[in-house]
Amino acid sequence: MFIEIIEVIISGLLNGSVYALMAIGLALVYGVTKAFNFAYGSFYTMGGYFAWTLLVSLGVKGGYYTVFLTAIPFLFVVGFFLEKVLISPLRKRSDWQMKAMMLTLGLSLFLDIGYIATFGPRLKSLPDIVEGTIDIGPFAFMNQDIVIFILSITGLLCFAWVLNNTRVGMAVQAVAQNPIGAQIVGIPKDRVFAATFAISTIMVGIGGILLSQKNFVNPQASTGIMIKAWVITAFGGMGSIKGSLYAALIIGMLEAFVGYYLGMIHIEVAVLTLLLITLAFRPQGLMGRE
Amino acid sequence: MNTKSMVTILGVTYGFIGILPLFIGDSSILMRILTMILIWSVVASCWDLIMGYAGIFSFGQVAFYVIGAYSSAILSVSLGVSPILSIFLAGIITAAIGVIIGLPCLKLAGPYIALVTFAFQLALEPFLKGPLGKAIGSGGSRGIISVPPIHFFGMNFSSSELVPFFYFAFVLTLICSAVIVVILKSHWGTAFLALKDSEDFAASLGVSAFKYKLLVFGITSFITGLFGAIYVHYVGILSTRMLSMEVFTVLLIMIVVGGIGQYPGVVLGAVFTVTANELLRPMGIYRLLIMGGLVVVVVLLLPDGVTGLIKKISDLRLRKKERHPVEMRGSGEMKESGETQGSTL
Repeated sequence: MFIEIIEVIISGLLNGSVYALMAIGLALVYGVTKAFNFAYGSFYTMGGYFAWTLLVSLGVKGGYYTVFLTAIPFLFVVGFFLEKVLISPLRKRSDWQMKAMMLTLGLSLFLDIGYIATFGPRLKSLPDIVEGTIDIGPFAFMNQDIVIFILSITGLLCFAWVLNNTRVGMAVQAVAQNPIGAQIVGIPKDRVFAATFAISTIMVGIGGILLSQKNFVNPQASTGIMIKAWVITAFGGMGSIKGSLYAALIIGMLEAFVGYYLGMIHIEVAVLTLLLITLAFRPQGLMGRE
Repeated sequence: MNTKSMVTILGVTYGFIGILPLFIGDSSILMRILTMILIWSVVASCWDLIMGYAGIFSFGQVAFYVIGAYSSAILSVSLGVSPILSIFLAGIITAAIGVIIGLPCLKLAGPYIALVTFAFQLALEPFLKGPLGKAIGSGGSRGIISVPPIHFFGMNFSSSELVPFFYFAFVLTLICSAVIVVILKSHWGTAFLALKDSEDFAASLGVSAFKYKLLVFGITSFITGLFGAIYVHYVGILSTRMLSMEVFTVLLIMIVVGGIGQYPGVVLGAVFTVTANELLRPMGIYRLLIMGGLVVVVVLLLPDGVTGLIKKISDLRLRKKERHPVEMRGSGEMKESGETQGSTL
């Protein structure tokens, strides 16, 4: 009984850490560009398929090192150009937020069906990043879980460092606070928008590579991931990175416990209920500002 | 758009659709397409009303449609209610659920509403398939089969008799479209627009956001539920497949092609989308690929849809006409009357 609970907690912690990575990417892109990205989950699947193509289909040398080294520039370029070509022309209009939502929704369907058309409807499995287990007392930890946890936390720390210590990060923060003011002091606003979109694409894509090892690469997973990332951002408080981190861990735990005790089918209902209760009593989220 | 051109476009479109069965009544494929055009045009119009006019990013339209379909099916199959009554009860049930969903949305900012309503749609499928759904008679993942057809005045209205059903749907479509036009042109429609443009300013003028937002949720979900209900009595079977992304995207294309907040445009969008969807059906999975790509391209190139395009063309023609002296006199009079109005104020 006790051991089971510990295992459920570990699984929740693991999912929660990757969710945090993805949710913070979404909080960033919404906070800065104010564009509601419905295609966010499709980039998660894109990360999974990218890793699958390199590792299984092409069988490149270097395993996951090569995957991460190529995935980051690849996802950056994809995100940057999609923002430049699709989202930024819409910004001239007054109702562009609604247009952006509809466009990304279409893009999401296009990408998801595109994956099925290219790779087939079957689930793809990725090789484990590392093999084996570690025994500590009565508990057996999978090395893979530990590495995924460490990598996603490292990703978060890297992101926090970039945001607070580099010129790009400060430019992003300035645009988030006041786009016009940022433009007046000479920050290239449009490029910052595109870069932010690209950074969020990297974060969710890496999340896809990490979690797809455990959950398979599934062309139909995108919508669920997008909703989950949104629920976490809304629950934690828009624009609060600390809030998103806690919210991601709480939702990861909730999912693990609900899935273990009540069955997988109730996860979505439980997550939605949590969201509705939070928004009804605290519309700004756990740690969001008024 | 003024009332006259709104009614003209609606009248011409529905009038054309209305006389088509006289010529193609024998072809069951074409009749099915025509019937679906009617149903979807009203559902998409409701979405346009709530999103384009009231400015609420409600993404729960498909969910309301499915709730209407399930309520009517459960009422008529499990409880034996006559379909003609259960259709209206389904509308009322959907309206009640719409208001309940609308309540938390009152406090939320735009994208949060999209999130809540979209998540509501996603949670509906596990609910209907799960034990709770089975308890109320949703039939689980098997769905509901053998939903009875609508029966009154000694006539059956179902998929076996396409022309009578078409005219039944046609009458309902005309009534609901008239209701939508009346709402848009009454002070309700003005209040919706005011709330969309600036909620604070509208509130300062005494427009109650609470009342009008709940009202728009109630009205649109009532009509959507009603049409979901007549759809289920038309096809006779129902499963959670209606909640797929495909249905959602098809509905999205109608509103994108027709133009958001350009009311009769969405009806033209429905005509185009349902026809295109049927024409592309032999292409298998590539049909959805094309549909998804279409949304992206249309939003980028035609932000106001077909209506925007028509407006642009008629603007060009007006500009050409302005070069004629006769037309110049007309615009001069306009200016004069504008000035006198200004002085009296």
